[in-house]
Amino acid sequence: MRASMSLLRREFSAYFLSPIGYVVFAVFLAVTGHLFSLSLGLLTARGPKGLSYPMQLMVNDVSFWLVYLFIPPLLTMRLFAEERSTGTLEILLTAPLRDGQIVLSKFLACYGFYVLLWLPTLLYLPVLLDWEWWTMQSGIDPWPVVTTYFGLALAGAMFLALGMLVSSLVKTQMVAALVTLFIGLLFILAGLWRPADMDTSGLAYQVLYFFTVPLHFERNFSRGLIDTRNVVLYVSLTLFCLFLTVRSLESRRWR
Amino acid sequence: MIHVLNLTKYYGDYPAIQFVSFDVPAGQIVGFLGPNGAGKSTTMRILTGYLTATSGKATIAGLDVFWDSVEVRRRIGYMAENSPLYLEMRISEYLHYRAGIKGLYGAERKKRIGYVLDRCWITDVRRQIIGTLSKGYRQRVALADALLTSPPVLILDEPTAGLDPAQIRSTRGLIRELGQEHTILLSTHILSEVEMTCDSVIIINRGKVAISSSLADLARKAGERARLVAIFDHAVESDAFLNLPGLTEVVPQALPDGALVRLSSPDMVDLAPKVCALAAQKGWRIRELRSERATLEDLFVQITGEV
Repeated sequence: MRASMSLLRREFSAYFLSPIGYVVFAVFLAVTGHLFSLSLGLLTARGPKGLSYPMQLMVNDVSFWLVYLFIPPLLTMRLFAEERSTGTLEILLTAPLRDGQIVLSKFLACYGFYVLLWLPTLLYLPVLLDWEWWTMQSGIDPWPVVTTYFGLALAGAMFLALGMLVSSLVKTQMVAALVTLFIGLLFILAGLWRPADMDTSGLAYQVLYFFTVPLHFERNFSRGLIDTRNVVLYVSLTLFCLFLTVRSLESRRWR
Repeated sequence: MIHVLNLTKYYGDYPAIQFVSFDVPAGQIVGFLGPNGAGKSTTMRILTGYLTATSGKATIAGLDVFWDSVEVRRRIGYMAENSPLYLEMRISEYLHYRAGIKGLYGAERKKRIGYVLDRCWITDVRRQIIGTLSKGYRQRVALADALLTSPPVLILDEPTAGLDPAQIRSTRGLIRELGQEHTILLSTHILSEVEMTCDSVIIINRGKVAISSSLADLARKAGERARLVAIFDHAVESDAFLNLPGLTEVVPQALPDGALVRLSSPDMVDLAPKVCALAAQKGWRIRELRSERATLEDLFVQITGEV
């Protein structure tokens, strides 16, 4: 357990020892900050404008998903691919740690950085929720915000687990990033673009809805709904990818 | 301490090692010798649990390297080839992290880190980022890492590769000292290194063990094939030597200003006086008389078939 913590701490601090962590952080904050200012504009505009739900604009905007698409590849590409290309994987795997411990520590470190990315956005909440400090209550229904963060936490875990699996399969960071980006695109593309005249009751849309993450946020999480189909997809895919990553690490032993 | 029996590893169809068997007794320093690609690193990686053998069995301290991999790894200090390290970390940070994943904490951790820093002469540079260090220092960091938990077995893959002569000498000295408390298996392709540091040697070639014996035995074996070299100031009839009793081989060679004769005999001690007597009798002038021992290098070249 303490050995896992040592590994977790190293993996987490490694994000701050390379420029990539800072770049991801800066771009992410710039985009969410911009979307927050747009939300503020809409909330304070006169006339029939405004937002139905506090986080609506922040997680339904195309620019958000474009940026979000790049975060998991950049965070996960180094996890195993870097160690493999520099040879440090050998000294990591010959340390007295089980493969499961290594995978879980690396995943949690990566997930920790993802959570860290979102922490500054909590500063926007008092404004979005019309928070009243003297009564400690929000002026509007806070649950859509809670479900949005809940969705982001689970969806992030899924993308990161996918990225980690890819990273454990390839030799170079660049390939890991590109493959993860491509897989991420499958889950996000229909949120960025789909035929304008698409029949939302048709089979094609139903299938798209099943795995298109931005649609889940647009229709459910940002409105304060939790659809178990989405949750099951995120959680099961996360666990499945973690399992496959352990197997992929083990594969060196039976190849 | 280390028992290896019929270890075989295939990479696809290519056999990296085949039926490798050897024993390393506790407290010994064993040199693992072989040309590049002979399977040294593969064998070491199997012992450390990084790879798995296709067939065969290996145990360290009585534990099977496949079934008790984690426990075995606890008992091994492993220094991988080319000493891969996290280049963005400082030495002290790196050792702190490695101590953590190896199960050392608190005061014990601090004490051991201080000890290995001191032992590997890197105390002065412990605040430096590993990426800025020269190859020699990186090797020492890797060795310090291997020593952290004071494991009973050290497996060192080419510990002196890429070092300068002074560093090689000090590293050898360190390895000899470490040999007093640890069982060491070290691979190298520098022959003199084995002669200087090891108690016994395992020569591996094309995935098979060619020789596994102690250095003393090897020296005896080399002595058996020693030859006497006699150099004369003028040409001599080499047939005359054949009359000497006990001589097994005479190889004459003409020199521009004389002649050279290589003589072999199972009894080297008696040979030189006999040759002198013969020369005196025939009136030959001997310029030089020396014995030529087969070195480990000769043996190695002979075994591996390389020039």
